Amino acid sequence: MRRDLRPLLSLAVAFLGAAVSPAAAAQSPAAPPTTSQPTASTPPVTPAETEPAPEDSSAVGPEAPPDAVPATTAAPPPEAPPPTPVPEPKPTKPAAPHPHDPNSPPGLADGFHFGSYGRVIAGGDSTGRAGRNGDIVARGSRLDEANYAELELRREDYWKSTGAYTRIVATTAFATPIFHYNGQFSAALAIRNLYLEVRNAGVKGLSFWAGSRMYRGDDIYLLDFWPLDNLNTIGGGVGYTFKTGTELKFHAGLNQPTDPYYRQTILRPPAYNQFGAAEVAILDRQKLVSSIKLSHVWPVGESGGVKGILYGELHYVPEGQREVESKVYESVPRDKGFVGGAQVGAFTGKRSTYVNLTARFASGLAAYGELNAPRQLRPDRLTTGAYELLVTLSGNWERGPFGLLMGSYYRQFRNASRSLDWDDLNEGIVIVRPQVWFAKIAGVAFEASYQAQQRGVATEDAPNLFKPVFAQMGRFGLIPFITPGGPGAFQRPHIRLIYLLTVRDAATRSFYPADDVFARRGVDHFIGVGAEWWFGSTSYFR
Amino acid sequence: MHVRRLSLALAPALLAAAGCLHFDTLEEPVKIATHAQDWREAVIYQVLIDRFDDGDDGNNYLLDRENMARYHGGDWIGLENRLDYIQELGVNTLWISPVIKNIETDANVDGYHGYWAVDLTQPNAHFGNLDDLRSLVRAAHERDMLVVIDIVANHMGQLFFYDMNLNGVPDILLQGTGTRPQGTPVPPGFDQSGFTHITEYDPDFNPLGIQAFTSLGPAGPAPIVFPYDPKSGHVTPMPPIFQNPEIYNRRGRTFNYDDPQQLLTGDFPGGLKDVNTTRCDVKQAFVDSYARWIELTDADGFRIDTVKHVEREFWRYFTQRVRQRLAAQGKTQFFMFGEAFDGRDDLVGSFTKNDLPSDAELARENSCDDGPKLTGDQLDSAFYFPQHYQVFRDVFQDAASTDRIANLWANKTVNYGTVAPKDSAGIPPYKALVNFIDNHDVARFLYFARQRVDNDPAFAGKSLRDKELRLRAMLQNALLMLMTAEGVPCLYYGTELEYRGGNDPSNREDMWRPYPYLGESAAPPAFDTTGPTFVFTKKLIEYRKKLAALRRGDTKVVWSTTRTGDETDAGIFAFERAGGEAGNNYVLVVFNTNQNHDSRTQFDGATMTVSAPAGAVLVDVLGGNKKYTVGAGGVLDLTLPPVSGMLLVPQQDV
Repeated sequence: MRRDLRPLLSLAVAFLGAAVSPAAAAQSPAAPPTTSQPTASTPPVTPAETEPAPEDSSAVGPEAPPDAVPATTAAPPPEAPPPTPVPEPKPTKPAAPHPHDPNSPPGLADGFHFGSYGRVIAGGDSTGRAGRNGDIVARGSRLDEANYAELELRREDYWKSTGAYTRIVATTAFATPIFHYNGQFSAALAIRNLYLEVRNAGVKGLSFWAGSRMYRGDDIYLLDFWPLDNLNTIGGGVGYTFKTGTELKFHAGLNQPTDPYYRQTILRPPAYNQFGAAEVAILDRQKLVSSIKLSHVWPVGESGGVKGILYGELHYVPEGQREVESKVYESVPRDKGFVGGAQVGAFTGKRSTYVNLTARFASGLAAYGELNAPRQLRPDRLTTGAYELLVTLSGNWERGPFGLLMGSYYRQFRNASRSLDWDDLNEGIVIVRPQVWFAKIAGVAFEASYQAQQRGVATEDAPNLFKPVFAQMGRFGLIPFITPGGPGAFQRPHIRLIYLLTVRDAATRSFYPADDVFARRGVDHFIGVGAEWWFGSTSYFR
Repeated sequence: MHVRRLSLALAPALLAAAGCLHFDTLEEPVKIATHAQDWREAVIYQVLIDRFDDGDDGNNYLLDRENMARYHGGDWIGLENRLDYIQELGVNTLWISPVIKNIETDANVDGYHGYWAVDLTQPNAHFGNLDDLRSLVRAAHERDMLVVIDIVANHMGQLFFYDMNLNGVPDILLQGTGTRPQGTPVPPGFDQSGFTHITEYDPDFNPLGIQAFTSLGPAGPAPIVFPYDPKSGHVTPMPPIFQNPEIYNRRGRTFNYDDPQQLLTGDFPGGLKDVNTTRCDVKQAFVDSYARWIELTDADGFRIDTVKHVEREFWRYFTQRVRQRLAAQGKTQFFMFGEAFDGRDDLVGSFTKNDLPSDAELARENSCDDGPKLTGDQLDSAFYFPQHYQVFRDVFQDAASTDRIANLWANKTVNYGTVAPKDSAGIPPYKALVNFIDNHDVARFLYFARQRVDNDPAFAGKSLRDKELRLRAMLQNALLMLMTAEGVPCLYYGTELEYRGGNDPSNREDMWRPYPYLGESAAPPAFDTTGPTFVFTKKLIEYRKKLAALRRGDTKVVWSTTRTGDETDAGIFAFERAGGEAGNNYVLVVFNTNQNHDSRTQFDGATMTVSAPAGAVLVDVLGGNKKYTVGAGGVLDLTLPPVSGMLLVPQQDV
């Protein structure tokens, strides 16, 4: 039953690496460098576009880097490929984590904890212009991502009388810009996690939570992307871990993205002849998002395993009405959407080596993502017909001083309106990051990505003959870094220098507005210095 | 090179693995072809795309459906989705709004109508993309429907302003104290200035060209400035020739339409910039731009806006080069009818005549290119505005004497072309005039008809329902005329649902928000096909399709009258459609347009005589199939209630 998957994983990674590199290298129709700034908007991808978080990969967790200590007794992250079947959290104060392994899950019931994720970067292009995300796909290289940080304060308690333990999590997130950059004494601040979770709630293995929560599974680090499940709602959930290690989770939550699709307010005279005007919500509907997830890990070999996940979501908005002119109302219909998905992964349990394959299909309301309002509806104002198909493959392999991290996805999105338009697209990316560590504290990574995109726009290929525009782009990065925590693809913190070469073909350039510098440059150089860290945060364990 | 090959190989493989994005119509070239046979077979349905139906939420941008001057969201997919409705009505030709990219908005009015061109190479994205337009045309052709695209060659949109005060920004100038009326002499001992209101986007015509001035006096020709404001759609005009200030006449707004110079070289009111259509490069640009839309879509004709504001030489060049270019690709019978918003029959007709200029002039015109030598050919047809005024307004609304119909029709061969242009739709223009009751530029028939009824003493004290039933009778009488008169009938969308809006933009209502039917208080469902006027119109079109005489027969007026009072024949008008290319088919159409009493086809001892032989039995297919027998000598004495009509068909043809 136990098999060593490492050769298979190595083969898969090697194949992907070989397939990608030449493609990426092919993009270089040089264009004269110019100046200007723009935006090629990207349509919603499954995780809300505005959702800025990044974080760890499925390989992070109890599985430790070579010189790290073993996992603590805390519950290992079910989304991560754990080395063993999910153990029960012990209702006793666990052993203290290794002082040099801030990324390992903290013990339970031991009071207050602080955790954080953050990335800060200073950089620009070769002409000194400010850096900005240069990807054409929704999820591309994160080397030129904007600054972002989460600060998490957490309280853990063990309740001896019931055998339960609780965790209260409050996570604030900060997005760019930063005061030291623009001189504006303000911050783009959001409250993300704000929830209470109870484990072993009366029944061993049974857990409940309620509040505001980032609720998600495994990510693709290189793409800053949670391909199967990434929900941000206010609600609650229940989970049960069977003795076999199988875990079943159910969650339901609400959100109301700021958009007239959900809410419309109108001024009305206040009651009883009071002065002024009162704001009245004519339309005030929330979206219900619920999810169910069944996961199981089959151990393979001494530390490896195979993980399988089945996943589903239901999205629903009730009907409502809105005012189209004074005292004239129109009804807006109820709508719904579904997600079905699956993930299969394998991991060696050593040095974060893993591979994950996911497939996900979202329909109707769910196709637009969870924090978005649907656009481009059917004539009956429904989202029926909209869909998003997503297939991803990601993995990591490490041996000796070498490592290879990769990610890829293919995605189709179609909105509900009949006609193809800019927001209808097919896109995909393959990204690899080979890296080498030396002297335990330093390393250098290379990153290469090939991305391609078709949107619902056409170009006249020959007289009276049109074809969808097919854009291709290659990006090549060189990232020397210092890693105080030692080697490991998911070892942080890092301080790093970044050089990123971007090569755009003419079709890619055509996706940007007139006079956008990306519309005019076939080749771009990004140079930056930055830091990235994560430690002790529920973003990396659950 | 090697790497590039690998890349090219990988890219398609990546997409093929999961399926490519696919347009319905774009990836195969459109093979243009001739779909029309005889344009007299056509029944045109004029659609203002923005107001017809919203079929695609994807192109809804900055809509304001409660404001008639803003975009409402209709699109080509919406029209395609409603082809069942249109086919149910029986019309077989769609005339759609201009398809090209417009100025988005100007002075809080949007370019929803399509007549404010800024880029002749791109579709109006509010209406959809090229795929949608092609899909519409293809779907129409599959239903044996034709498609006519509206175009404008007189002007572009509000592309620039005249910087009259040389400050670089578009101003609306208020000058002077206003203590002295403008234009009046300065009274002795006074030196007050008059009051002047100038908008730099739309200043009044100046034959010298719009002039600049400062507080110190005249400052020479005003420079023109193309503002760049993508949000309002003031972007770089295309094709590039329209970026050249020299191709515009730059004389300001026409205010005296009787001044030929203003008419031809003045800007169209609203700041629409007049193009110098005598330039060869301009002529060629319009031919290339608009013929391309036919090549891209396989549409079947052009409705051409504002033809009277453009020189004849342009129409000679444009029509002939378009015909030649399309015919070379297999599209013949291409129909081009022009709009001269004018009641003067000779003027309207002049654009359909073979207008051969002097040899010297023709030589100059021929110097534009190396194409076939130009002839005097112009348009295939005209929008029959004189009939709109003299027949539908004067007679069918206002009960004027019916002899004006006879007189107008009698001049068709005088005022309109009698020979089909070479390579054209093949019908002499006078036989293919486009008849219409109303359109997007005039108030709907029912709007002024209502005023007429409201002011009619006979209806004083009558109920609203009684008045509205009279309105319906008036409209249906007009529809009978529309569908039986010689030429090509053109129905403005919504007429069949008794739409009744006033002047522009009130006459551009949403089809998805119908009025209550006349005499009723609750609105029917959108696109209802059971309303009385829909059913009546459908019936008329069915007879038009069934009876060749109504399509191709010659016209003979057998009764008209100058009388409008208490006389027995007041309001009677009758004509036959027979002969010509209709074989033995025969139809007699009789109207009583008098709004007060029954009238008959008889006056002062004289009775109407018709061409049908004595003893022939004619059936009124609109009047319960009541039969009438032609008397000796072709005499036919008919009595009609006020505001009514008969469509009489030989019994054997019913």
